[in-house]
Amino acid sequence: MTLQLNLVATLPVLAPLLAAVLVLLLDAAVPGHRWPHLLVAGAGLAAGAAGAVPGLLQTTGDARAAFCLPSGECLYAADRLTSTLQLAGLLAAGVVLVLAWRDWSAPSATGRAAVVAALVLGATGGVVAVPAAQDLGSLLVALELATLPTVGLVVLTDDAWSGERRARAVEGATALLMTSLVSFGLVALGAALWVAATGTALLELPTSRDPALLLLASVFVLAGLAFKLSAVPFHAWTPVTYTAASLPVTAYLSTVSKVAALGAVVVLVRALGAVDGTTLLALALLAALSMTVGNLVALVQTDTVRLLAWSTVAQAGWVLLPLASLSSRAVHAAGSYLVVYVLGTLLAFTVVVAVADAHGAGASRSGSALAGTSLEAHRGLLRSHPLLALPLALALLTLAGLPPAVVGLVAKVVALRPVAGDGTWWLAVVAAVNVALGIAVYLRWLSRLLAQAPPVPSSLRQTAPARAASVGAGRAPDETDEPGESGEPGESGEPGEDLRAGAPEGPPERGPRTPVRVWALVAVLTLLVVVWSIAPVGVV
Amino acid sequence: MTGSLRDAGAQAVDLVPDLGPAWIVLALAPLLLAAVVLLTAGRWPTAPGHRSIRLLSVTAALASAVGVAGAALHRPEVAEPWIPGLGVWLRLGADGLSVPLLLLTSVVGVVAVALHLHVPERHRAAPPGEEGLETTSPIPVLRSTDVPGLATYHACLLLVVLGALVAFLAGDAILFFVGFELVLVPMWVLVARYGDPGSDRDGAAVRFLMVTVVGSTLMLVGLLAVATATGTTDLSVWASLRGEGIDRPTQIAVAAVLLAGLALKVPVFPLHTWLPWVHATAPTAGSVLLAAVLLKLGTYGMVRLVMPVVPEGFAFWAPLLGGLAVAGILWASLACLVERDLKRLIAWSSIAHLGFVVLGLATGTQTGLQAALFGNVAHGLISALLFVVVGGLKHRWGSADLAVARAALREATPSLGAALVLGMAASMGLPGLAGFWGEVGAIYAAWSPAEDRPGGWFGLYAVLAAVGGALTVAYSARVLREVWSGDRLEPRIPDAVRTERYALRLLGALILVLGVLPVLLLTVTAPVTAAVIGR
Repeated sequence: MTLQLNLVATLPVLAPLLAAVLVLLLDAAVPGHRWPHLLVAGAGLAAGAAGAVPGLLQTTGDARAAFCLPSGECLYAADRLTSTLQLAGLLAAGVVLVLAWRDWSAPSATGRAAVVAALVLGATGGVVAVPAAQDLGSLLVALELATLPTVGLVVLTDDAWSGERRARAVEGATALLMTSLVSFGLVALGAALWVAATGTALLELPTSRDPALLLLASVFVLAGLAFKLSAVPFHAWTPVTYTAASLPVTAYLSTVSKVAALGAVVVLVRALGAVDGTTLLALALLAALSMTVGNLVALVQTDTVRLLAWSTVAQAGWVLLPLASLSSRAVHAAGSYLVVYVLGTLLAFTVVVAVADAHGAGASRSGSALAGTSLEAHRGLLRSHPLLALPLALALLTLAGLPPAVVGLVAKVVALRPVAGDGTWWLAVVAAVNVALGIAVYLRWLSRLLAQAPPVPSSLRQTAPARAASVGAGRAPDETDEPGESGEPGESGEPGEDLRAGAPEGPPERGPRTPVRVWALVAVLTLLVVVWSIAPVGVV
Repeated sequence: MTGSLRDAGAQAVDLVPDLGPAWIVLALAPLLLAAVVLLTAGRWPTAPGHRSIRLLSVTAALASAVGVAGAALHRPEVAEPWIPGLGVWLRLGADGLSVPLLLLTSVVGVVAVALHLHVPERHRAAPPGEEGLETTSPIPVLRSTDVPGLATYHACLLLVVLGALVAFLAGDAILFFVGFELVLVPMWVLVARYGDPGSDRDGAAVRFLMVTVVGSTLMLVGLLAVATATGTTDLSVWASLRGEGIDRPTQIAVAAVLLAGLALKVPVFPLHTWLPWVHATAPTAGSVLLAAVLLKLGTYGMVRLVMPVVPEGFAFWAPLLGGLAVAGILWASLACLVERDLKRLIAWSSIAHLGFVVLGLATGTQTGLQAALFGNVAHGLISALLFVVVGGLKHRWGSADLAVARAALREATPSLGAALVLGMAASMGLPGLAGFWGEVGAIYAAWSPAEDRPGGWFGLYAVLAAVGGALTVAYSARVLREVWSGDRLEPRIPDAVRTERYALRLLGALILVLGVLPVLLLTVTAPVTAAVIGR
C-alpha cells in the first residue's frame, strides 16, 4: 500500500511545525538570544500563510490534497474555505506573536522565548491541520496538537506577577487541561461510535448502516468540540482561563483556537451534510444557548477581558448558528462569520493590551487601584487616546454588527441567512433578540469610551469666576456620568477655549508611550476592517 | 389655472439639467464628507467656532437637499455590485413611493441642522442658604454658543439624515437594512449625550437602540427568508414577483416577522412604549428627526417590503394590524388628554397619527394606501413643526411640565404661539391643512376596505378611528387652552429667534400648501400605489 504524499499542499501545516523544531534547535545552539527565535517563528508563520494562499485561488469543488490512499481518498484536503480558515489562523497567530513581544523583551523572560515560540508554533500547526483533516485519526491528533500547547502557554507565568496571580494562572491552566481531556474523551468516544456506524474512519461520504448510531456519534463529537468552541453548556472553563492567562495568550485562545474548533465542526458538518435527512437539533440548541447566556453574563462584567471572554461564548453561538442547517452555504457562512469575529476580537485585544500597558505603569504611579484591564480604565479613552479609542470602537461595532462597521453587519446577515432561509423561526427570533443583547453588551463598553475622563483634576480646577457666566455654569463639579466633555465651564470671554476644555482632563501622562509595533498592528487591523466595510469581498 | 401652473412647472423642470447619477452622489456625498470633517474637528489645532460648524453642516444639508430634489425630478438609478457573495447590489434610485419621503427628509434635515443646540442645564439643588427663596430664573440663551461637542452633534445629525436617505433610496433589501442601521449609533449618541440631563437619558438612548435593533433584526430575518425564496435581494424584482413561489404558510410567517420588526419602529400599539420616553429626552433636533423621518422608515418598510412582496401574508395579518392601529389611536389620544409633559404629549400624538397611517395600509385599497402615504408626509411636517415649537418652549421654560403656570403664548411669544396653533389645528385634521387628507382618507378606506378584508371589522375600525379623531380635537384644544390662551404674562420668555422663525414658516407653508393642493403629492404617489396593491 503506497501513500501518495503531496507535501507542498501541506505547507501551511508543515511550516509552523518545522519552525517550532527549528526554534528549539536554535535555542540549543545559541542560548540566551531572542531575535533569531522570533525571526524563525515569524518566518514559519509567514511561510505557512504563503502556502495557504494558493488554496484561496482554487475554484469551488477543487481541493489541494495530500496523503492520498490508493483508493483515492485523501487524509488531508484543503479547499477554499479550509484555506481561508488556515490563513486566518496563521495570520492571527502572527498578530499574537507580535502582541507577546513585550514578554520577550522583559528581562525575566530571558530563555523562555524559545519555549513560548515553540508552543505557539506547535499549537498553530495543530490549528491549521484541523480543518483540513479528512479522517477521524487526523482530526483527533490535530485537535490535541492545537490544544495541549496552549495549556503550557497559560501556565507560563511572568516572574513579576504576584503569587496569587501565578496561582490563578495554574488554576486556569488546570481548567483548560481538564476541559481538553474531557472533550478529547468525548470526541474519541464519538469517533469510535462513528467507526462502528460507518465502518470506516474516513469522513468523506459516510454510508451509514445505522443512521441513529451515526447521529449519536456526531452528537458526542459535537459535545467534545463545543468545549473547544466554548459553547454553552460546555463553556465554564472560558472565563477562568481567559482571566488567568496573560493577555496575548488570551487573545490566542479566543481567536486562533476558535479557528481550530470551528474547523473541526465544519469537517463534521460537511461529513453529515452528505447524509440525507439528518438535522442536528443539538447544533441549534448550542447556538441559541451560547448566544443568550454569553450575552447575558457579558452584560454585567466589569473587566474587559472577562467581557471579551463571555462575548466569545456569545459569538461562538453566532458561529454555530448557520450550521444548524447543515448545508454547504451554511458552512461557508460560519467560516465568513468566524473570520470577521477573529478580526474584530484581535483588534479589540490589541487595544486592550495597549491600554493595559499604558495604564499599568500610570496606575502604579498615581496609586490608582484600577486594574489596567478594567472597564473603568477605558473611561474617557476617546479624549485621552483617540487613536486607540477609535479602532476599539470600530472593533466593538464590528462585533456588535452595527454600521459604520458594515463588515460586522454583513457577517450577521450571512450568519442569519441559512436560518431564515430554512424557516427555523424560533432560532431566528432568538438570534434577533441576541443581536440587541449583544449591542447592549458592546455599547456599555463603547459608552465608557465616549464618557468623560475621570474628573480628578476638574474639581481642583473649578474656579469661582468661571462659574457665573457661561451656559455650563449650572453643572456640578462632580458629575461623572456626563458624556459631554464639558465638566467645567469655559472661561468666559474665550469661547474658543471650552470646546477643548475636556481634553486636558485625561491624565496628562499615562505611563510609557504605546510601542510602534502595537500601533502598526492597530493600523493594519483597522485598515482591514475599514476596507472590508467599504467593499465586503470574499464574504460568502 | 392649474393648467397654466402645470405648464410653468414643466418649463421650470426643463431648466434643471439631468445630471444622471450625479444627483444621487450630490444627495449623499456632502452629508458624509461634512460628517467626517466635523467628527475630526475636535482634534484640529484650533477648534472651529460654532459659526463655522453650523455653516458647514447647514451647507452640507442644503447641498444634499438640492441633490435630492434633482434626484426626485430626474429619478436617476445607480447600480453597482457590492457584496458579490450575497448578490447584493448598491442599487439607489427614487420612485413615486420614496420621492415624497426623500423630499421630506431633506426639508426636515435642513431644519434640524439649522436649529440651535441648547445644552440643557442639569437641575441644581439650591445652595443651602437660599432654599425656599423664589429666584428669578435666568433668561435662557437661544442662539448658538460654543457648546462643547457641537461638532459631534452636527455630525450625528448629518449621519442620521444620511442613513434615512440611503434607506429611502435603496433598491436592494440589504442596502435598505444598512441604511436603517446606519441611523442607530448617531441617534444613540444624540439622545445619550445631548439629551435632557434631567431625565434618564442613558436609559432612554439604550432603550431606543434595543427596541430598534430587535425590530430591524426581525425585519432582516424576514428579508433573508424572502431573499432565499426568490434568489435575489432586488426590491423591484420582489415587487414584480408579488409573492410568486412562496407558499401561503411561509408568506404568513415572513409577513409576521417583517411586520413585527417594522411595527416596533413605527411604532404600532402594544410596541409603542419606548417612543414617548425617547422623545421627552432627545434634544429638539433629535426629536424632529425621529418623529418626522425615522418613524417613517417603519411605514415605508411596510409599503415597500411587505405589501407587494408577500401579499397573501399581509392580507392575513391586515385585520389584526388595523385593530392594533385603531387601539393605538384611541390609547394614545386618551393618554394625550392626561399627559403632563408637553413633549411627551406630542410624542403620544405621533403614535395616534401613525395609527391612521397603519390603518390606511391595512385596508388594502388604493385609497387607503394613498391616504397612508399622504398621512406619512403630513405627519412628518406637522410633527417637525410641533417639535420645533415644543422643544423651544421646553428650553425657555426649563421643563415641559404643563402643570406649572406659564405665560400665555398668545401674549408672550406670538410667533411661537401662532405656529403652535397651526400645528395643533393641522394635527386635529382641520380641512385646508395637511393632516386632513390622510386621516379622512384612512377612515374612508377603512369603511370600504378591499374585498378580501373582513368588512365588519373594518367598519368598526372606521367608527373607532373617527372617535379617535374627535379625541384628537379634544387634546389639541386642551393644549391650546393650557399653553396658548390666557392673559398671564409672567414669567416672560423670549419669542422665536430667526432660525426658529424661518423653520416654522417653511414647515407651516408646506403644511398649508399640501392641505390646499393635495394633488401635488397624490399625483406623485398615484402611479405606484396601483403597482403596490396589484389590481
